[in-house]
Amino acid sequence: MSNHNPAGESIFSLVTPIDALSPDLPLEEVAEQFADPRNAKLLSLPVVENGRPIGVITRYQFMNIYLKRYARELYGKRPLRGFINNTPLLVELDQPLAEAAQHVAANMQFPLTEDFIVTRRGRYLGIGFVMDLLKAMEVKMRANTQELEQAYAQLKSSQLALVQSEKMASLGQMVAGVAHEINTPLGYVQNNVAIGQALFVQVQTVIADYEALFDMMLNGEADEALDTAQLQKVTAARNDANTQEMLGEMNGLMADSLYGIEQISGLVHDLKNFSRMDAAANDLANLNDCIESALNIGRNVLKNKVEVVKDLAQLPEIMCAPSQLNQVFLNLFTNAAQAMETQGKLFIKSWHDATHIHIGVTDTGKGMPQEIVQRIFDPFFTTKPVGEGTGLGLAITHQIIQQHGGTIRVESRVGEGSSFHISLPIAHSASSATAGTATYA
Amino acid sequence: MSKPTLLLIDDEERILRSLRMLFFVGYNVRVTTEPKEAIRILREEKVHVIVSDQRMPQMQGSELLRIARETSPATMRILLTGYSDLDASIASVNEGEVFRYLMKPWNAEDVKRVVAEAAAIAEASFALQAHAAPEPEAAGNKPRVLIMDHDETTAKTVHETLGDRCEIVWAADAQHAMEELAKQNVSVVVSDLMLGETNVGYILKTIKQLNPQTQCIVVTSFSDTSRLIELINQAQITRFLPKPVSKGILARNLESMLERFHLVRSQPVLQKRQSVEPISDPSEKVSAGNFIGMLGRLRSRIGV
Repeated sequence: MSNHNPAGESIFSLVTPIDALSPDLPLEEVAEQFADPRNAKLLSLPVVENGRPIGVITRYQFMNIYLKRYARELYGKRPLRGFINNTPLLVELDQPLAEAAQHVAANMQFPLTEDFIVTRRGRYLGIGFVMDLLKAMEVKMRANTQELEQAYAQLKSSQLALVQSEKMASLGQMVAGVAHEINTPLGYVQNNVAIGQALFVQVQTVIADYEALFDMMLNGEADEALDTAQLQKVTAARNDANTQEMLGEMNGLMADSLYGIEQISGLVHDLKNFSRMDAAANDLANLNDCIESALNIGRNVLKNKVEVVKDLAQLPEIMCAPSQLNQVFLNLFTNAAQAMETQGKLFIKSWHDATHIHIGVTDTGKGMPQEIVQRIFDPFFTTKPVGEGTGLGLAITHQIIQQHGGTIRVESRVGEGSSFHISLPIAHSASSATAGTATYA
Repeated sequence: MSKPTLLLIDDEERILRSLRMLFFVGYNVRVTTEPKEAIRILREEKVHVIVSDQRMPQMQGSELLRIARETSPATMRILLTGYSDLDASIASVNEGEVFRYLMKPWNAEDVKRVVAEAAAIAEASFALQAHAAPEPEAAGNKPRVLIMDHDETTAKTVHETLGDRCEIVWAADAQHAMEELAKQNVSVVVSDLMLGETNVGYILKTIKQLNPQTQCIVVTSFSDTSRLIELINQAQITRFLPKPVSKGILARNLESMLERFHLVRSQPVLQKRQSVEPISDPSEKVSAGNFIGMLGRLRSRIGV
């Protein structure tokens, strides 16, 4: 690979050591040099004085002079010095290839009439062919392009990883929230079942005692002492106020348990709705449903703190990626809750005109100063403490809305709250929403 | 003896109904969804054990338990919550000084056992309260404060605060801490949770098992809710201060823990109020076993 080589080596490989001409050489000898078959490939000959290149004589230039009538007689003995081009193409040996190529390409004549001269610290070293230099450059550029492509692929995959980590972070938060939510009904359902189980064992014993008594009476086996003992046992069980009351309460506990299980099912249903794992990525959806789904999932963040005021108009269904829009709304709602230091209100409004659906999400949180508002959709920008926010939530939100062909705007006032306004086109082709899905898949 | 009174607070009535039935036999159970009502009951009745939810609309459970601590100090305080957030667990240590931090869903037998233990301790506490408070112990040996922290800052602050009133020992690694613990019991431990590479949770748990009088203050930047909950239940740490901790806060807590130490030493009943659950983590159990063994060998060598 080129980047393992010292900078000069690529130029070095292009150098052809040629005996340079002295400026004092008469033109007739220069003619011999050009005629020499060893120099057949050369477009030009370098002219060097005291080790330093002072110019170049091109074959083209030379022939213009020397092929004229009587030129040989007129100029044959004259020294080369008066005929040379003294702005040769010069390349230093340790110059980067790209720089050399750029210099040569900018100064070369077209059609190509000369070769370039390679120097080492200003002293003549040899010549090089422009075509070779350009070819070397092309090879290098191809390598560079590959490197760039690799870097781009790496960047893209790390961006994907980041988006993934943000998704995981919000997913983790969401799952933890819902898991906690499930703990309460699970708590009493489990406890009720444990109580029921213990009570069932007690009841079984009582029934066994009753049966034993019944059997004794049926069989008429006359052992009065035993009969009496059994009777007392049954009577005691019958009069056990605790068991009686617990049996009475058990009905209620069973009803509670069913209610709890319904709640748990509801939460699991909410999770499924939110993630839409079993639905198509792109689908016709009502955005009000997305809002409701996000509210259900965000409930544990919002409850006891945020009063949600909804004003949702009837909306036409649009083709979109509902799970992504769920994520957008959940992100906006949880941000709003986090912006509230104590209690607050969250206004969610939806409406539509002929072309767009509009969603307004307004909170009465602490608001943001202008300099934060300006950066709020920037990737990695976060006002949360290290480790609490990836700074990608709103950047992803922004991207999702863009991919749906929509816009998101924010207004905020310190101390009063923030307001987000999303507009999504009603007729947006499904294919562009699909493009968005591919990015987030 | 009459049945002990158990006060249950949760904003979900179904939780209350369910728990009431669990304790139906053997307890006088009071339930309410209103923290204010709970405070009234605490003020007016003799409550042995209070079990509170954490997240409630009107008041956080840790706050309710803090009020309970002031209103009825003999009552044993237990938190029962479905949410394991760090702030709540820190507040339950520092403000609520809870006996146990229990999670929903709970195991019925475990909760029964914990509440029974708490009720017995509360009964003894009430009996103690009924008698005149004993004289504070005459100044004997200087209290001994052990600092387990890799960083010197904490040790410096303790020095500046307690000066020459206490013998202050600073251990920067687990080995040194053990040597110091072998020499003599300590009154107060101020410890980070990580000592270099060692998680010292098991040392704190063992200290509290061996010497229940010792008061543990954890000063750390390490924040893991489930570890903290373990330390509440299995080491009865009495303070959890997130690093960096201001000098004033550490000083105030050191003073109150020294006071607590003196009180607990003079009242064995109070020691029981800080009794711990057995260590649950299997690898910590092994570490604690080794630790006790080495401590024993060291002690016999020194001749303590």
